[in-house]
Amino acid sequence: MDELDILKKDWKKQDANFPKLSYDEIYKIIHKKSSSIVKWIFIICIAEFLFWGFINLLIPESFFTIYEKLHLKAFLKITYIFHYAVVVVFIYLFYKNYSSICVVDSTSLLMKKIIKTRKTVNYYVYYNIIMTIILSIIVNIIMFSDPALLNEVMNPKHVPIDETKFFYIVLTVHIVGLLIMSGLLWLYYKLVYGILLRKLNKNYKELETLNI
Amino acid sequence: MNKELEHKFISEFQENQNIIHKVCRIYTNNQEAHNDLFQEITIQLWKAYPKFRGDSKLSTWMYRIGLNTAITLYRKSKRTIQTQDFDTVLHKIKSTDYDNTEEEQLKLMYKAIHQLSDIEKALVFLYLEDKNYKEISETIGISEVNARVKMNRIKTRLRTILNP
Repeated sequence: MDELDILKKDWKKQDANFPKLSYDEIYKIIHKKSSSIVKWIFIICIAEFLFWGFINLLIPESFFTIYEKLHLKAFLKITYIFHYAVVVVFIYLFYKNYSSICVVDSTSLLMKKIIKTRKTVNYYVYYNIIMTIILSIIVNIIMFSDPALLNEVMNPKHVPIDETKFFYIVLTVHIVGLLIMSGLLWLYYKLVYGILLRKLNKNYKELETLNI
Repeated sequence: MNKELEHKFISEFQENQNIIHKVCRIYTNNQEAHNDLFQEITIQLWKAYPKFRGDSKLSTWMYRIGLNTAITLYRKSKRTIQTQDFDTVLHKIKSTDYDNTEEEQLKLMYKAIHQLSDIEKALVFLYLEDKNYKEISETIGISEVNARVKMNRIKTRLRTILNP
């Protein structure tokens, strides 16, 4: 007889040892708030949608005058329309995946759905980052290809400055800015995944190796 | 949600609450953690209850939600005391050379089970609940063959933990 079978004998006897919760006690419990991972993922995802949605509002007005000077206003408008269409698609996909999460599914399927929901939002964030990078590359190419324009945009007060030096300063600021942004994003994802999804990912990996 | 449904749920849950206590017994190792997990599973059951059609047995439905909550949804609350180091506890008990009474053996068994992974615990739980491999495989979402293979590995692993 193996060890588990010894335990099995006892397993059925233990019922009497468990506390019996009264009607009122159960009533109190079901009126408490859940702290499940799905709820947290939902809150974080909504926060990310809002963050990337509102980040546009934080861009200073002067930024748009740069576009104007570069004759990119129409381009900007089209980008905006495209961007908000993409956002709507992402929100729809997120909602669809989120509402498919069902706690009665098999463990493996439940995990898959949670990961899929989370991934939708990840793709949304990737999309935002890639869009930001592409847009800044386009703007930079146009700006740097015309030194007079660069000077006009970045140095509107025409402070006398060495042009080569100025070029390198602008470039360095761009690169440092990009590095700081990626650093912050990396830290954020490290924290979110570290705290929230470590257990889920570990268990999901274990199930996947089982199914190979 | 209406009062009638609430009343029905609480009555049914009250009768079957041992299922959830058993899930907590496998996944936690102190009273505080037990209560915390018990609470989260109960909330999840209640949230899922309006969709419970009764086409599966209430107990089967509770097994699923209980295990899914323990494995996937549940986040340890801050209050929960972290798992103590089982190895040292285990060795202490071993070295004092207890008589191998059944009670001692059971204690060691639970300690060994607590060292397993979340997925392994689910298999052990369903095995102890006398579920067949078909039901085990459906609950966890792996094939029946893989469930069997995994169960045998778990048994071997438990043996190694218990008889180092």
